[in-house]
Amino acid sequence: MKFTQLAILAFICAACNSRPSDPGDVDTALYNDLQTQLINAKPGDVIKIPAGTHHFDRPLLLDGVKGVTIQGAGKDKTILSFLGQKAGAEGLKITADSVLIQDLTVTDTKGDAIRVQDAKNVTMRNVKTTWSGGAKASNGGYGLYPVGCEGVLIDRCEASFASDAGIYVGQSKNVVVKNSYAHENVAGIEIENCTNAEVKYCRSEKNTGGILVFDLPGLPAGNGKTCKIHHNKIISNNHRNFAPEGNIVATVAPGTGLIFLAAKDVEAHHNEVIGHKTMGAAIASYHIVQLKWDDKNYDPYTYDIKLHNNRFERKKALPDLSKDFGKMVNVYFGGKPQDILYDGILDDKRPSGSNPMNICIDQPQTGLRFANIDAANDFKNINPDLKPYQCK
Amino acid sequence: MKKQFKKGRILAAGFLLALSFCFTCQSPAAQKKGMAVSGPVRFDPGKAPYPKLSDYGFFTGIQRDLQPNAGVLPYELITPLFTDYAHKARFVWMPKGTQAKVAADGRLDFPDQAVLIKNFYYPADFAKPEADWDVVETRLLMKIKGEWQAFTYVWDDAENDAELNIVGDIKPVSWQDEKGHKQNIEYLVPNKTQCKSCHNRDAIIQPIGPKVANLNKDLRYPDGKTENQLSRWQKAGYLAAGDHGQKFAKLAAWDKPESGSLQERALAYLDVNCGHCHHPQGPAHSSGLYLQADEQDLAHLGFCKPPVAAGKGSGGRQFGIVPGQPAASILLYRMENTDPGVMMPEIGRVMVHTEAVELIRDWIAELKGNCN
Repeated sequence: MKFTQLAILAFICAACNSRPSDPGDVDTALYNDLQTQLINAKPGDVIKIPAGTHHFDRPLLLDGVKGVTIQGAGKDKTILSFLGQKAGAEGLKITADSVLIQDLTVTDTKGDAIRVQDAKNVTMRNVKTTWSGGAKASNGGYGLYPVGCEGVLIDRCEASFASDAGIYVGQSKNVVVKNSYAHENVAGIEIENCTNAEVKYCRSEKNTGGILVFDLPGLPAGNGKTCKIHHNKIISNNHRNFAPEGNIVATVAPGTGLIFLAAKDVEAHHNEVIGHKTMGAAIASYHIVQLKWDDKNYDPYTYDIKLHNNRFERKKALPDLSKDFGKMVNVYFGGKPQDILYDGILDDKRPSGSNPMNICIDQPQTGLRFANIDAANDFKNINPDLKPYQCK
Repeated sequence: MKKQFKKGRILAAGFLLALSFCFTCQSPAAQKKGMAVSGPVRFDPGKAPYPKLSDYGFFTGIQRDLQPNAGVLPYELITPLFTDYAHKARFVWMPKGTQAKVAADGRLDFPDQAVLIKNFYYPADFAKPEADWDVVETRLLMKIKGEWQAFTYVWDDAENDAELNIVGDIKPVSWQDEKGHKQNIEYLVPNKTQCKSCHNRDAIIQPIGPKVANLNKDLRYPDGKTENQLSRWQKAGYLAAGDHGQKFAKLAAWDKPESGSLQERALAYLDVNCGHCHHPQGPAHSSGLYLQADEQDLAHLGFCKPPVAAGKGSGGRQFGIVPGQPAASILLYRMENTDPGVMMPEIGRVMVHTEAVELIRDWIAELKGNCN
């Protein structure tokens, strides 16, 4: 047989053996190339993903190699679509120190879009995560999701339509989220069980809740503390809550700007908290969610909170009626949105006095709607007096 | 071995025949050949991984018949990891004169250059597993300079040999199950990094199965003898002396009611299928859900535990396990699901393990207490 005949046969072979294209034409060749590069990566390697919309059916994984850069051609130029994902719930899953992810978009993952776990010095820059079908409970939980990390920088990123939090940093230390844009998620930006975090110059808009600082029980990282939230625009977070029940964010009332739940040592200043129909800021202990916990090291209280120089501007609308917190605002505040609500739940172990939890609010604007809602006593003594909470 | 490997496969390898398959687009798997290899096991840790499975010589004769070579010992686990109903033929090989020790927690501490060999195959008819089968992949865990490394070999369509694959693959697989139903799935071959997502303890690759508690059972060996695996390993020189079986309670067989109580069998299943990740030193530690068999803390086991980062994986349910209420338990919801964003384990299956779902459902149903 002549070589040309063989070549023709080989061609026919290849043609008839190739399976019909899956919806979205999965680019297996590019996937294999990138995943092979990630597996064989050496410290300091730059792995470039070309411009274009690339459909993948499995996640890209990087493990154990320090200092790898995953580089797209631009946030709106390199788009990794996981619409037809068959396995592995994430888009990018990384367990490697000093990773830099930049200039790309991850869309439509079955689970979380970009998860980085147990890594030191994680940077995500100019990265976008989204779900193309809009706000759905079936979307993945988190967009940008570093967890258990030390040293996290999220800069100039964008996250939308996550069914839990667009930008979620969990159980991490030394975290900076800046210049980023979270919109139409359930939670825009969430800092959970973190120590030493900072969220600044971000825009969190049209989510259910704008920026959340939470501490939850039963986690290996234990209690978090120290978070600074400043110079953010927290705007019109009135989106319906589309989180699946069971998740803590499913309790967030649409129309909430800031929430500090079991948070310790938080300072929020120079934020614009504008256009919320339920409440601008909530300061609450974990008791408020009425879930029991079995973690003897867990500290459910919120204390050492400082709010100053923020601008609160309410939306003129009826507060949310879909969640308990919204109903509470409707019932106890005559259907009027509030600026700052504090649950007033006290830790008996702290020194007594008029402000044992050390909540300090320096917001001298006229007409500020504040109240201690006395949640521990079924809202019996709701008190709008701000004096006990003046900053020293 | 339960499985009697068939001999005398047709060796004729017709190039023209292969071409004609291409030409007519017939499934190449319709004609199996099988390639024979002879000689002893070859393992040079400096050169591993070899490009082909046959390069190691772990199997003698027709490779797809998986007949172990001298020094290659088959083993089974009391409760194995579920992988889409794949049958698994497991073997261990160690260099001459070396043996495994038993660690304090009952795991086997293997010597350097030990190799664990796991073949994934599907009988054409599950009612007659010895009649015909498709071998899909063979995974090797090899200990080199004190560190385990994982490599996967994917069998070619003619099942002559398997080739090293580090990037993973999706392979169509079909069979007829015990009830006579035809099953077709897209079987997922993991990539090298995914291997580590299960075989992981403190971010270091570790075997999952070989623990004293899970190996302590009888096996029919290729020489026709039926013997306890621990004593056979000792006779072969592969396991340090001592009455290890006395020291560690035997794991219950998840599917054999005579082997343990419902709770023991449920916990054995969760230990093997979930506990490698859901462990304080495993990759799922950030969830605070620990499912290894020795977990004593009910909250860590998921009792009345709210999810941490489940997203849609919660299925709208409030807690991991609600005693007495399987239909309200997230654990069961995730086992019953095949959406990659919901299901657990995260990888390694595209099907629901129906029989295990029943076991866990029955266990949760009989649990006492409530989450109020």
